[in-house]
Amino acid sequence: MTFLLQSIFNGLLAGCIYALFAMGLTLIYGVLNFVNFAHGELIMWGAYFLYLFMESPLGLPLPIALIPALCLTILLGLSMDRFAFKPLRQANRLTLLITALGLSFFLRNGAQLFWGAELRTYGFEIKRGWKIFNISITTNQIAIILTTLVCIAVVYLLLHRSRIGKSMRAVSDNLELARVAGINTRRTIRFAWIMSSSLACIGGILLALDTNLQPGMGMINLVKAFAAILLGGVGNIWGALLGGIVIGFAENLGVLIISTGYKDAIAFGIMVLLLLLKPPILYGSQD
Amino acid sequence: MKKIFYVLFTLLGVSLILAPVAKAQDTYKIGAAIALSGSIAVYGEGFKKAIDLATEEINGKGGAKGKKIEILYEDNKSTPKDCVTAVRKLITVDKVPVIIGPAASSNFMAAAPVAQESKVVMLSAQGAAPALTKAGEYIFRVFPSDVLQGKGISDLCLQLKYMEVPIMYVNNDWGLGLKNVFVENFKKAGGKVTDEIPYDEKKTDYRTELIRATKGNPKAVVNLTYIVEGSVMFKQAYEMGINTQWICGSAAKAPKLVELAGKAVEGIIGTYPVFSQETKDYQAFRSLWMKKYGDAKIPIFGEYNYDMVHLIARAIDQGGYTSDGIRKALFEVAKGYRGVTGDKTFDQDRGVGSEYGVWTVKDGQIIDYKK
Amino acid sequence: MDLFLHLWVMIFIYTIFAMSLNLEMGYTGLFNFGHVAFFGIGAYVSALLTLHQVPFEFALVAALLAAGLLGFLLSIPSLRLRGDTFGIATLGFGEIIRMVFQNEVWLTKGPMGLPGIPKPVLFSYRFATLPQYLLLTLGFSVLTFLVLRIIIRSPLGRAFKAVREDEVAAVALGKNIFHFRIKSFVIGSVLAGLAGTLWGHYTTFISPGDFTLLETILVLLIVVLGGKGTELGPLVGAVVLIFFQESLRFLRLPAEWSRYLAPLQQMIFGSLLIFLMIYRPEGLLREKGAGR
Repeated sequence: MTFLLQSIFNGLLAGCIYALFAMGLTLIYGVLNFVNFAHGELIMWGAYFLYLFMESPLGLPLPIALIPALCLTILLGLSMDRFAFKPLRQANRLTLLITALGLSFFLRNGAQLFWGAELRTYGFEIKRGWKIFNISITTNQIAIILTTLVCIAVVYLLLHRSRIGKSMRAVSDNLELARVAGINTRRTIRFAWIMSSSLACIGGILLALDTNLQPGMGMINLVKAFAAILLGGVGNIWGALLGGIVIGFAENLGVLIISTGYKDAIAFGIMVLLLLLKPPILYGSQD
Repeated sequence: MKKIFYVLFTLLGVSLILAPVAKAQDTYKIGAAIALSGSIAVYGEGFKKAIDLATEEINGKGGAKGKKIEILYEDNKSTPKDCVTAVRKLITVDKVPVIIGPAASSNFMAAAPVAQESKVVMLSAQGAAPALTKAGEYIFRVFPSDVLQGKGISDLCLQLKYMEVPIMYVNNDWGLGLKNVFVENFKKAGGKVTDEIPYDEKKTDYRTELIRATKGNPKAVVNLTYIVEGSVMFKQAYEMGINTQWICGSAAKAPKLVELAGKAVEGIIGTYPVFSQETKDYQAFRSLWMKKYGDAKIPIFGEYNYDMVHLIARAIDQGGYTSDGIRKALFEVAKGYRGVTGDKTFDQDRGVGSEYGVWTVKDGQIIDYKK
Repeated sequence: MDLFLHLWVMIFIYTIFAMSLNLEMGYTGLFNFGHVAFFGIGAYVSALLTLHQVPFEFALVAALLAAGLLGFLLSIPSLRLRGDTFGIATLGFGEIIRMVFQNEVWLTKGPMGLPGIPKPVLFSYRFATLPQYLLLTLGFSVLTFLVLRIIIRSPLGRAFKAVREDEVAAVALGKNIFHFRIKSFVIGSVLAGLAGTLWGHYTTFISPGDFTLLETILVLLIVVLGGKGTELGPLVGAVVLIFFQESLRFLRLPAEWSRYLAPLQQMIFGSLLIFLMIYRPEGLLREKGAGR
């Protein structure tokens, strides 16, 4: 029983992080209509930026280091758009896809060039988790769940209560129509990148807090986020949230039954199953 | 179209010109197809340090057979495909008769047939897969095979009276090979393996695997892990309050693991091929290392690489700078040779034997385990 | 000179591999990011069979059939997806296949890999040495080239392009898009299987580590660089890329640098893709009469 509860909790934890990734990914998809393969690298660089400010010579404490790290990640996201995707606004989505793949390659190896392939940590002391209902929970993990909730709330408020968020949703629905309606699409796109990068940065930092830093950390987990957005219906932000959490649970509980060697296959397995069955609930509303 | 082909031919020409013009042989060149980049570059850097140290020492004493030796490094990028290319390049372009082979067993085994076909000697200083030297008579190893270590871990479990253990292993050639030997030996001795949990390399989250392994609170868990995976795992196990005796193999025995995982690895134990650190040779090696690199952080398998270079130099000295000469001389020079890592006499499978000891982590230091 | 022969063998194998992707991606507009799976299936099936003393001719046919069948099965659910979601689905599929190689130890020996794959014997002629193998790969690339040329210039090939250029128009003309996509995908898979078979018998050792996403990216780059949707593009791309990659070995840089060299090289790969997409999306060779 304890065993099961702990697995469920771990699933929730993984799901939170996947959900953050998937939400960022789907935001860009909604506005620009392509899957940003380089999102994983935003995640990774976000985590490494924090590392940069927390390590010597700067050695800032986490809450302060968070600010420049967030800014740098947003800057990276915006320059990604400026230099790689903006010239391709009129291109077909497959061209965009290859560009994103190239960008992902470029940024991942850039990190490896700079920091090397070795594993790094933020260097917090390891603590035993608290036992709550026999589940062991660490402070970091509580922070992860709380931060995810805050992020979701902020995203909700921005999308549904603010002007820019509303125009973003309009652009998401129909770019041409939004333009005709006088929405500043350039500003909207920029805003989408800022939100997506921030989510990536926060998600990356949470992931690194919970585990470690490594140039491949974004890529590995992004694949799960892909599965999550397919699961939740591409372009649908709340679907992505749900999809992420479902994948997190499925992965952690599925391993109890099948060989752990296939842990990563679970997300894809769900994806393939969905594609086969194609439930109308998820896909009915999409074109 | 035409333009493109001109470009292609220029490119071909440039790559030909870039090929080094054969220089007069003023040194004996030894190829080294090691991982300087890619997934196991962390280890490759350490091997290179050890190899450089030995080379410097040998050349300081006049080299081999009147000439200095020189190591030609070729990056194998940690992939089997590039290992093949790297070894091919060393053989055909640099024309070396002897090559220090890639580290990971699967990489080594991809490249070994090439060396064997071309009749070039290739050595491994860290490959542990039992089938490693099967490619042929030109392939040697100076590191003991897993057959010995797997039995070592099994014996350790029995000795500590852990009769029922689950086993976790990193899902690669090394982990799987060692696991198989362990399970075979352990079952034969009456032990019971409750669960087998393979896990992928380089992941950031191993909680699921850990939970499954510690289902039913086993007293001990055998975990055949590397540094990178181990550090994540033990940390997460500690956080989850898992209380069990971890039993590892040799690949986790590294200061880096303790550095990364801190108190989470206190008290873990593991086996490793022992060689006495009290011998004069070892002390000399250690002080040389300190002098050159300024610390005593000897990387994993560093000692084996160091011994290997010495053996190669001796073989060149005795058998001459040809692959057949080296191949034959290797048996002779290794016979009874006591390097830093102990007796290096080659058996009929061109491998070496070893004794196994037990290490543990205490107060952040890796020490010999005593009951 | 062996190194050059070796590189040319690699070039021809990759040319076949790239040609197969070119059919799917360049001509039919299917973005397959899991293409390496079929390469792997070809390599594993043929290796396992020949290791069990099945003659190479049969093993080759079986490998091609296996790759084609797998391609067919996969194509049914996922071809309903649009371009990029299809890409993700195939990427996932590629990873699953690699995990099967890694975990079904009883069959594939898992991460230990399969050593000692015999050199191919075709009609009692053994292709053992490098020049012989070069001949074999050259022969197969020419064959693949010709087959693809016939397909592309046939009504079927034109239908592929119609599907790529404008799905709506293709439907309006009474073409069954789904049908053509499956055909393209299956042919592509079979040819990737051929490339994989040649690769396995060439290195004589395969392990799951040979079939990662990195390979897909490399072959994708070859297709894009050479010019997608062109007949000679894959060859040009393979030659340029492999020579570029290997010429770095001859620069004789200090060994300390190689830690930086590999990521740098892959950064160059990445930026090449980006620059190509922005400035010359058609690649080195330009498709005749292409709209874009």
